[in-house]
Amino acid sequence: MKLRIPRALGMAAVAATVLATTACGGILGGGGEKTADSGPIKIAAVIPLSGSSAPTGAYMKNGMQMAVDEINAKGGVLGRQLQLDAEDEACDPTQAAAAANKAVSNGAVISVGGYCSGATLPTLPIFQKANIPMIIPAANSQDLVNQKLPNVFLINGTGAQQSAAAVKFMVKDGVKSVALVDDNTSYSKDIATETKKDLDADGTVKVALSTSVTAGESDYSSVVHDIMGANPDMLYWTGYYQEGGLIINQLKAAGYAGKIMVADGSVDASLIKIAGGSNAEGVLATMTQTPDTIKGAESWIADYTKQFGSAPGPYSTQSYDAVRVAAEAITKAGSTDGTKVIAALEAIDGFELFSGPLKFTPEHTLSSGGFQILVVQDGKFVLKDALS
Amino acid sequence: MTQLIWNGLFVGSFYALVALGYSMVYGIIKLLNFAHGDIYMLGAFIGFAMLTSVGVIPASLSITALLIVLLLVMISTGAIGVAIERVAYRPLRNSPRLAVLITAVGASFTLEYGVAAMAGPNPRVFPVRLEGQTFDILGARISAPQIVLMVVAVILMLGLNSYVQRTSMGRAMRAIALDPKGSLLMGINVNKVITWTFFIGSALAGAAGVMAGAYYGKIDFLMGFIIGLKAFTAAVIGGIGNIKGAMLGGLLLGLLEAFGSQWLGGQWRDVFTFAVLILFLTLKPTGLLGERVTERV
Repeated sequence: MKLRIPRALGMAAVAATVLATTACGGILGGGGEKTADSGPIKIAAVIPLSGSSAPTGAYMKNGMQMAVDEINAKGGVLGRQLQLDAEDEACDPTQAAAAANKAVSNGAVISVGGYCSGATLPTLPIFQKANIPMIIPAANSQDLVNQKLPNVFLINGTGAQQSAAAVKFMVKDGVKSVALVDDNTSYSKDIATETKKDLDADGTVKVALSTSVTAGESDYSSVVHDIMGANPDMLYWTGYYQEGGLIINQLKAAGYAGKIMVADGSVDASLIKIAGGSNAEGVLATMTQTPDTIKGAESWIADYTKQFGSAPGPYSTQSYDAVRVAAEAITKAGSTDGTKVIAALEAIDGFELFSGPLKFTPEHTLSSGGFQILVVQDGKFVLKDALS
Repeated sequence: MTQLIWNGLFVGSFYALVALGYSMVYGIIKLLNFAHGDIYMLGAFIGFAMLTSVGVIPASLSITALLIVLLLVMISTGAIGVAIERVAYRPLRNSPRLAVLITAVGASFTLEYGVAAMAGPNPRVFPVRLEGQTFDILGARISAPQIVLMVVAVILMLGLNSYVQRTSMGRAMRAIALDPKGSLLMGINVNKVITWTFFIGSALAGAAGVMAGAYYGKIDFLMGFIIGLKAFTAAVIGGIGNIKGAMLGGLLLGLLEAFGSQWLGGQWRDVFTFAVLILFLTLKPTGLLGERVTERV
């Protein structure tokens, strides 16, 4: 989901590349042979376990562990037990590359990690060189699939699917004009650009304003001024919750009465706190399914809560599903060989996930993103419209 | 139009408060104190810690509580600024400039990631938030807290100006800016004056941090980075080393941003602002009020 650009991005990117290249020559040279045919099947999960995204990393890890335990209780896969190898990437490209290398040298045969798109990108070539299929549960930048790597599969909706959901709701809601504001990062810009394209194609909703802000500032009075001037029926903010909260707060202070919708990067309890008071009440959001919004997930939530002592959160279900998809593909392939597993993944048709029956598109994304509309009610995000 | 001017002046007064510290320190020891923006962040976090430890504050007392916290934070960040100077800058005062510049960058990262380690990397929400009525003045929407903050900023700046102009310590500062060796020979305690300069500059940045926390509501450990850059820019526009220049530069930068984003759209705001800055400095490298041979503080 996230595509965070840290301050030292340039340096990090260089470091990541260096790491990746050296690793490919060195550690990964014998990667193929390490996948022994006995002992547990190792599943790599490169996810954020520290840093600002650590809470989500924990939800993901628990979801994966739950699936691993369930499958192991039923006798495992190909008669072997599954073993989860979670490595911390801290939402940082350099650390992610190092973590991926570590997972590969630990003997992983499949990867189910990937939350921050920016940190997931450098791990793609590392897993690809080792011929390890990746089922990415959360990261969803278009950049991940644009490289057309054979081993990369996304089971979260993409930016284009998110904007399609946003436009669908705008039309349905009778919105006549929209202001699009992004934060100039590629994740955010991606959604804003796609939304504008979709809106122009649809023609019923006018784009009254399309602009960007600089992330990391406190004062957004100039964009607030622009929005007030454009006077749209709805603002669609496609950036993250920190700036989103501030913009909502400053818009309300300026007397904005229109609707506000935010993208999945802003769906966080902190958005509501930063917006202050009841400013966030009624704010809409485009979001993939969370455990709370999935029908029939009550018993799953209860099991999760019983096992980990806390309720599941965003991307718990997708991570749980990623492990199940991995197990299914290995079972169908009858082997842990990367090429055979990739073929099995491509052949999956109708495997039941929380988001519906799974069939990958030729780009290895979901055929439908499963995005839905949430609304803030009594200080919490709740389901407003499943858009189905 | 009036709204744009007001928005620009309001943001600009934050830039100006932070720019003052940059400018004063540069004026006296020719050091670009990169840790200055992080003192602003530290001010916000110390204020946050104080307000949270007090517990729930009734809304009617929030302004009073904030003013008290503002004073305490100014003293604390002032002391921290002094400590940083003592540990990271003073031992290097006679070393090449580059070495001090690097310790300044080091101090900046130490503060940022020290706070991240202690307070956590997630953004915090300020426990007291300034809220109040909004007025319509000449077509601009102005809120009561904005007025309060502007008044506080103006008082701080005027106070600083008269301090530097009227007191003997202020005179010593100006003397050192002109000629540090000569001042030493004239019996001025240079170390004491430099310490005092750091105290004042850091106290002002800390005050700006608390005010930003209370007004915008969100604080995080990297909040000093961008405002540090902007304040540095403001100090250079105004003529670095010149106190009135820093204030003027801050307000001008705020106005440039407001109008740039109005005319060209938000994504072009920084391009516009900094293009103007480049153009301006090529034409007048000393900044608005800077002179080639000038009395600096």
